[in-house]
Amino acid sequence: MKSLQKLASLERGRYYALYVIAMVLGIVVISQAYLIVTIVDDLFLNKQTFDQIVPLLFVLLGVLILRASLSYLSGKLGVKMAARVKAKYRERLLDAYGNHSLLASAKGQVGSKMSVMLDAVDELDSFFSKYVPQRIITTVVPLMILLVVFSQHVYSGLIILLTAPFIPMFMAIVGNMTQRKSEEKLDSLKAFSGRFLDTIQGLESLKLYGRSKHFKDTIQKSSENFRDTTMGILKVAFTSSLMLEFISMLSIGLVALELGLRLVVFNEITFFTAFFILLLVPEFFNSLKELGSAFHSGRSSSGAAEKIEKELKQEVKGQQWGTRTLVKPVAVKLNNLEYFYESSDFRLLGIQSDLPAIGQVAIVGKSGSGKTTLLNVIAGLLQPTSGDVMVNESKLYEYKEQDWFSQIGYITQHPYLFTGTIAENISLGVSATKEEIEKASNQAGLTELIATLPNGDNTTIGEGGRGLSGGEKQRVALARAFLKKPSVVLFDEPTTGLDLKTEQYLHESIQKLTKTSLVITVAHRVQTIKGADHILLLDQGKLVGEGTHNELLATSEYYRTLFNLQGKEERQ
Amino acid sequence: MSELTHIVKQMIQDKKDVVRSIFFGFLAGITAVGLFAANGYLISQAALEPPLYVLIAMVAVVKIGSFIRALSRYAERYYSHRATFTMLSNLRVYFYEKIEQIGPALFQKHRSGDLLSRIVGDVESLQNFFLRVLYPPIVMALVFLSTMIFVSFYSMAIVLCLLVGLLLTAVIIPAWFSKRQKKASSQILEERSRLSIDVAEWFYGFRELTIHQKRKEKEQDLVSSSNRYIKEQEQAGIQSISYQSINMAVSLLVSWLVLAVGAFLVASGELNGLFLAMLVMISFIVFEQLVPMALFPIHYEESERAASRLYSVADNKQLTQARLVKQDQDLNLNEGKAPSVHLKDISFAFVGDSRNTLSDISVSFPAGSKTAIVGPSGSGKSTLLKLILKQYEAKGEIFFGTTPLKQLDQEMLWEKAKVILQENHFFYGTVKDNLLLSDPNLTEDQLQQLLIDVQLPYLKLNDLVLEKGQNLSGGEKQRLAMARALAKKGQLWLLDEPTSSLDSSTEQCLYDLFFNQAKEDTVILVSHRFVGLEKMDQIIVIDQGRLVEVGSYSKLMRSKGYFYQLKQIEDSILQ
Repeated sequence: MKSLQKLASLERGRYYALYVIAMVLGIVVISQAYLIVTIVDDLFLNKQTFDQIVPLLFVLLGVLILRASLSYLSGKLGVKMAARVKAKYRERLLDAYGNHSLLASAKGQVGSKMSVMLDAVDELDSFFSKYVPQRIITTVVPLMILLVVFSQHVYSGLIILLTAPFIPMFMAIVGNMTQRKSEEKLDSLKAFSGRFLDTIQGLESLKLYGRSKHFKDTIQKSSENFRDTTMGILKVAFTSSLMLEFISMLSIGLVALELGLRLVVFNEITFFTAFFILLLVPEFFNSLKELGSAFHSGRSSSGAAEKIEKELKQEVKGQQWGTRTLVKPVAVKLNNLEYFYESSDFRLLGIQSDLPAIGQVAIVGKSGSGKTTLLNVIAGLLQPTSGDVMVNESKLYEYKEQDWFSQIGYITQHPYLFTGTIAENISLGVSATKEEIEKASNQAGLTELIATLPNGDNTTIGEGGRGLSGGEKQRVALARAFLKKPSVVLFDEPTTGLDLKTEQYLHESIQKLTKTSLVITVAHRVQTIKGADHILLLDQGKLVGEGTHNELLATSEYYRTLFNLQGKEERQ
Repeated sequence: MSELTHIVKQMIQDKKDVVRSIFFGFLAGITAVGLFAANGYLISQAALEPPLYVLIAMVAVVKIGSFIRALSRYAERYYSHRATFTMLSNLRVYFYEKIEQIGPALFQKHRSGDLLSRIVGDVESLQNFFLRVLYPPIVMALVFLSTMIFVSFYSMAIVLCLLVGLLLTAVIIPAWFSKRQKKASSQILEERSRLSIDVAEWFYGFRELTIHQKRKEKEQDLVSSSNRYIKEQEQAGIQSISYQSINMAVSLLVSWLVLAVGAFLVASGELNGLFLAMLVMISFIVFEQLVPMALFPIHYEESERAASRLYSVADNKQLTQARLVKQDQDLNLNEGKAPSVHLKDISFAFVGDSRNTLSDISVSFPAGSKTAIVGPSGSGKSTLLKLILKQYEAKGEIFFGTTPLKQLDQEMLWEKAKVILQENHFFYGTVKDNLLLSDPNLTEDQLQQLLIDVQLPYLKLNDLVLEKGQNLSGGEKQRLAMARALAKKGQLWLLDEPTSSLDSSTEQCLYDLFFNQAKEDTVILVSHRFVGLEKMDQIIVIDQGRLVEVGSYSKLMRSKGYFYQLKQIEDSILQ
């Protein structure tokens, strides 16, 4: 609550404006009661004529309209504050999620994180739009009312003064419960979102395994869970307003009884004073009660704020990039690289190698030996636990981030397609003419596919568009690389899912790339790597051999078992 | 509108809470009116110095009344919210069911961020439907009616004032707002959806965005859609405050009018001054309860749009068509008997594609046979598998044994097929969770053995699998998928390049394991390589959606046709 409070007081202008509004409102509330009492008193007891009270009626009319306008103004200020704060928080979250390495972004479910970015931030709204304006009104208006009551009749003032402190006390107790409950609520919403998104992404697998019914139960459970936690919060809220109601009733009742007795039995006060106080006391408690419910939503906002702060803290600070400018050609050296995963035992240990500036480097090894991890470290997507990727004799992270990534091409096994046309997906990040895009898609072997599409390369692909097969997606990613012409091209098992003709075609294209760039390929097919200038052989995260195909064949037993088998079969 | 009717129907399933909400709402409203009336009367009566017992009796009534009011307000809130959130929870499950039925084809029309935003955000915004649209008008009408009957004992003129006030604040002004609201119709839900889509794409495409330096740009987009969304929320917030303030002003005016008319009547002797305070207080309280009606049009509009957005996902006739046939034809998929599959004159084109992906395919897969489908990528191999899985509807006929596929329930078919797709989804959870998909009754030992069998001995059952298996390599995913398929029951194997990411030695181990397991079963294997095809009973060669050759490995090699040529190319590359 404190951090939100600080944010609120930063909006100084609006903050003071709210105080002014509250003071005017106090005057309005008191005048309204005063005028009504005067009118009734004049007619009822003083037996005045209608004409005599007409001016008072018109003053009252003005006061009432002013009251409505004041409530509009204070509400509007609150909404504006809320908008500012929400925008700020969402940007901070984006910064935090974006500012760290690939791995951290993969941690946890996307749906859960989306829920923080959307729902938790939305939840902040009520603190500013409801709680802050109401709190200011409640600090000012009841005080003014109390003063007036004291000036009219001390005993009534004392009764109010005695009962009123129960209200903030009670609110504090309830408030803590609310905050905890609302954190629970956001947690279960987060869990629901995460599970839902993950489930619909994997719907096909679920159905294939006949398990979507089971997941329906999971969805149902997390949805019901969400309902129950929401009801939990609301129950607290309702109970708190019930309690507030009881306290205020007790107080109003006592005041009324005391007034009645003095009026009837002791004849100590006038009807005017009694009615005036009787109109003011409910206003006093109304203001407190409204603070009660606003306080409640304020608390659940601060629950949300806490959640967000937690998320902000949890996210590791990303790699800071330097300011050095990168000049071509690019020579890459791996200097005692190590990488440890937090979530598993796998480790990449002491990788040391000089890579040529131009040509083909292949990374081979059994599946699970750390090939892709090494590729991600070289790409600057994973930050090594120790050791450095050296680029032109300087550490990679001394360069400008932009300089490095503009020299990198990366073709993964499952490239992500953005919703957009094929042309847009190819030109991603590069401004290119139509001819250049066509050339790149031709080099990647996409021309035939594009020709069969009704809108050619203007066909929408990705989610919400035409689905592409695995091989087709890879070719789109390849076209991206051809268009970008980077100095370092990283291929993660480039020919998975491609037929031989296409593979052969690609092979030639890749060969073309090796004339001008460093091409680093993760591969498991012997034909991809035979022509490589340098091969890194990995086993269980360690570099167990390097050299050309023939050198490794001659020196490494492990290399032979990895590929010999294939050689035998192919000859059959 | 029709969508909202559906939601009303959903609500009414849980009738009790609805009735309770209305009952307690009425009780709370009417006791509040009674309370204020009594207070006003009490103070006026006191001024006239009545006998003390009258006062004491009145005070007692007021006390009891206020207890009833507080308690019934609590009950009203409790029941109405419970009804609402139960409905929301049911709706979420209902839509998940719908989405589940439509299946993966959904993503051709909707993006995942959009779906999430609909099922979370839109469902959430429906909460106001019951709480602010459906039952409060009923409660208000009841309270108002009772109040007017009570007031009519004192002055018809004031009843008239109240009636005018009611019409203004509950009917005319909301109707006017509603007209304005339709014009300046808020885009909150749409903007939320857009933001949700942007956020989802940013997370899923994080790596590509980083490498292609589009991240900053995408973040800019995201921030601006967040700002647009916030702007919409802000406008809506200000709008509802202005509606509320206007309605508040009007209801205060009406109370003022009641005071003025009452004053006039008292002055002219037509009304006992004793009742003036009471009537004024009644008017204030009764209109205070009407102020929320200002928001009726906003909530109504919003609910209507949310409902129609939701139902537009669920009611996609074209997509659900494939699911309509449901018959209990279990003939050829009995346990312990491998099915045979026959394709007759199959042609298929994707929606919106001018060319056929597959044309005139007729082929048989006898029970217990092993078939490989080969051909260049994009030739339609995977599509053929998907047709057999009934994921798409093709022209021509497919039979399981003698039963047409059309008469088979897709789900039942899938339950009995062991399938490995090119991309297999893994869920956030442990390795064990992901393996248990196939059979929830497997023991830990069996699962561990399975991991050893598929050459993943180093994985532990409790190792964490990230969403979409992001922390697994391509080869690991394929081996896990193989483990999942091995554990599943069924006699029909449909494999789409199950080992394309594996090194040759691991691949060989898996094939040995697999052929050992599938001895009796019908196997259809899609491959773009020719390694190991000698063992297959038949090889089907497809190019550009057409059947080119069918036959055993030796027959095809002898005939020196298309297959032979492809094999030559492969050999030449491998040499």
